[in-house]
Amino acid sequence: MPKCTINGKEVEVKEGTSIIEAMQQSGDRIAHYCWHPGLSVAGVCRLCMVEIEGNPRVQIACNTMVTEGMKINNTSEKVKDAVKWGLDFHLINHPLDCPICDQAGECGLQDQYMEYGKYDPEMAEHKQKKHKVVDLGPTVVLDSERCILCSRCVRFTEEVSKTNELGLFNRGDRTEIGTHDGMPLDNKYSLNTVDICPVGALTSKDFRFRQRVWYLKDAETVCNGCSTGCNVKVFYNKEGFFRVKPVYNEQVNGHWMCDEGRDIYKFVNREHRLLKAQVRNASGWTEMTAGAAAKNANEVLKNSQGDSLALVLTAQYTVEEFDAIVSSFVNEFKTKKVFFWINNKESFESFDGLLLRGDKNPNTKGLLKVLEKHGITATWADLTSGLNSGAIKTVVVAGPENMNAFPDFADRVKELSKASNLIWLQATKQDALMALTGNVWLIPTKTFVEKDGTFINHAGLEQKFKKATTIVSEALTLTEAALLMVGKNLAIPAVNATFMPNNQREDQVTLEARKKNEFVFRRGSL
Amino acid sequence: MSEVKVLTEFYHLPEYQTLAGYKAKGGYETLHKAFKMQPQAIIDEVKASGLRGRGGAGFPTGMKWGFLPKNGEPRYLLCNADEGEPGTFKDRMMMERAPHQLIEGMIISAFAIGSNKGYIYVRGEYVFPIECLNKAIKEAYAAGLLGKNILGSGFDFDLDVYRGAGAYICGEETGMISSLEGLKGQPKLKPPFPAVQGYLRKPTIVNNVETLAAVTYIIKDGAQTYRKHGTEKSAGTKLFSLSGNVMTPGNFEVPLGYPLMDLIMKEGGGMKPGRKLKAVIPGGSSAPVLTAEEVAKANLDYESLAGLGTMLGSGAVIVIDDSQCMVDMLGVLTHFYAHESCGQCTPCREGTGWLNKVLHSILEGRGRLQDIDLLIKVADNMKGKTICALSDAAALPVLSFVTKFRDEFEFYVREGRSKVKGTTYAEMHH
Repeated sequence: MPKCTINGKEVEVKEGTSIIEAMQQSGDRIAHYCWHPGLSVAGVCRLCMVEIEGNPRVQIACNTMVTEGMKINNTSEKVKDAVKWGLDFHLINHPLDCPICDQAGECGLQDQYMEYGKYDPEMAEHKQKKHKVVDLGPTVVLDSERCILCSRCVRFTEEVSKTNELGLFNRGDRTEIGTHDGMPLDNKYSLNTVDICPVGALTSKDFRFRQRVWYLKDAETVCNGCSTGCNVKVFYNKEGFFRVKPVYNEQVNGHWMCDEGRDIYKFVNREHRLLKAQVRNASGWTEMTAGAAAKNANEVLKNSQGDSLALVLTAQYTVEEFDAIVSSFVNEFKTKKVFFWINNKESFESFDGLLLRGDKNPNTKGLLKVLEKHGITATWADLTSGLNSGAIKTVVVAGPENMNAFPDFADRVKELSKASNLIWLQATKQDALMALTGNVWLIPTKTFVEKDGTFINHAGLEQKFKKATTIVSEALTLTEAALLMVGKNLAIPAVNATFMPNNQREDQVTLEARKKNEFVFRRGSL
Repeated sequence: MSEVKVLTEFYHLPEYQTLAGYKAKGGYETLHKAFKMQPQAIIDEVKASGLRGRGGAGFPTGMKWGFLPKNGEPRYLLCNADEGEPGTFKDRMMMERAPHQLIEGMIISAFAIGSNKGYIYVRGEYVFPIECLNKAIKEAYAAGLLGKNILGSGFDFDLDVYRGAGAYICGEETGMISSLEGLKGQPKLKPPFPAVQGYLRKPTIVNNVETLAAVTYIIKDGAQTYRKHGTEKSAGTKLFSLSGNVMTPGNFEVPLGYPLMDLIMKEGGGMKPGRKLKAVIPGGSSAPVLTAEEVAKANLDYESLAGLGTMLGSGAVIVIDDSQCMVDMLGVLTHFYAHESCGQCTPCREGTGWLNKVLHSILEGRGRLQDIDLLIKVADNMKGKTICALSDAAALPVLSFVTKFRDEFEFYVREGRSKVKGTTYAEMHH
């Protein structure tokens, strides 16, 4: 364990630690672009300069290993001058289009300039013009002139996705990132290149121009897109959720997440949600509050106790919710007919070797654990035969949130609608449910970003997460729904969803909407 | 003193290109001798000779070989024949006139370092040298001098010529390795050095054509005989490519330590009638330029030229007479380096382009006086800040030209035309 001195502080690091890693460990700030802890060292941006005692030249910290007794500093005038010039070299051909750049507010170049730059530019020559708005593939757009050629994206496709779509083409200051001929950037992890791009060169087609980042709040949670359970950050404001980015967790997802996982914010937004409960009987649909509908269902549930009552669960809810609803059914309704709705059976066990798992549920292990705890052994065949024979009269379903992972949804709805009474707990609006006839209760539920809870991933790792915000104030958790359905009274604190009704085009932000954004709230007025 | 023909003794003989002609002059006899030696003894002999790499960096050859790991891991021998430095054309002559000399040197070197596979990486546009090499390699295979169990020694060595696509930076050893691996020719971070992790991540030695050819002579006559030529720190002879404003440009082999002025006046035939010596670039276009006064004090060896703030480099001596405009000449050089920068490290990628743009602003009459200092500042901040030395190679001529001939640059900025030629850039080039 070599000991070194960084800016006067003694630091002990593991053998084989680079100076830049040691500086991160010691909390010392250091300019850098091309270095990324999840990628190989390129050493090309030449910004992470440090002075090492006894060495006449400044060195790059990313490719220099710490040795015993090494004395390092990055605060000397020599280093500051080297970094200033490094920035100057980066900026001479970089466009000054910050006001229209999608990366404004989270741009590495802006940040570095504010920290290490702020000087009069010396470049009087014309900038080298490169290509604008290059369509790299289905998910990513490149503005080549903003690119500082850190090569992070190229290394990502070589080392992480191993798809090798990207390369560095041409030479000198004509060098550009691009895709190899006939090979679009089209892999299941392509949007990580956008995350690691330190400037606004690579932008996500999905997020591009939709929001300025300073209008967004963020919250950490766990992706519910598959059983890996990637740690993610969701970004939102009063207009809704806008994007998802990975959060580093060495045990789960490292630095990355898949493109599929980035879509999980979409069904959460208000326009996709079931906002009110709908109860149907012979006279048609009646709108109710969610709590009232759950309470209303109690009557039919009481009358269907025992083996005529079934509970169908998708593995998309939290451990706490599963425990609450299964306990209620076993203890209060005396039924052990609890069924696990397994989606995409053919690919359930598959794994792509990086992050993507065929089990598209975040909490299969959690559900199985709860079922085991309650001694549930029922199989789907029992449910089918019970429905066909008419032995099962009432079915309660906790449906999926992420519909993309449930291609058999309509078929299942048809199958389950054989019951005389169907009580369906669901976060999103579904035509297949609204088309049902007979006795149906549709009760809105909260999504994973609206509640606290625990998911257990494929490896058995328990991950707790916190509520980010409320979108549909009336929506219930399964726990709340279970308590109401067994006939208990529940004081649900009123949480007003502050999300605006979204009745305009997706990319259109009206003046009214702008007035309500966080930035303006804080500043006072326009 | 005059030319000493150690390497180039038989270059005037057309038959020396062939196996028979080469053998007739004692070719491949040293190989027999080498196979009777222990590999370490060969390495020790090369170390004792003081041979320094003839490609430009001048690193001691024996010491480089000594960096190879001692385990039996497969290793490669690469011959750097990617002669790209403006002004340098010595290796071309060696490959055309004496390909077997290089092959013999490579077999001996490979035997010494324990390599069974070698490549000669040649600049793509060197079509004729490539033909000469391929022909000679074919002859050598047919004669059992390459391939399995060479001359019954039990040593195997295969050799191929690899034709590069053409990039200055592929002459840098790690850039060459990238290119040979099928990647874009971009230098790699060091450490690891090629001797530890090179071609295909295996230990690799990269030596210049002239260096490998010299190995044969060191083994043939012994290190001490070789050391009789040259100076204490710069042993042996060296090929110099003499070009520019001299009467008889060409390649000349002289002992290291040879006076630069003698090379120009004796071997080069002196200046053209009526012209005076103005400056000399002594070691390829990346070497800082010397003024006429400095040239008078300069000897062609590593230490003398370093003492004058320049370098021996590849041994490409470019002579400049008083008819030449230094601003225009530097414009050619900055354009070259801006074109050839691989684009990897930011200071080089952007700095070479920046220098070129500033210089061409001056040449095209749009220059500002502060641009002259800006050239110095930009070049200064490119030096020593990149993975390889191309950034330095681009910066050093700028620094020396601008510093030593500042009056020409200031005149150009003020008047919008050349002080020497009296014309504008457009008039000079059209």
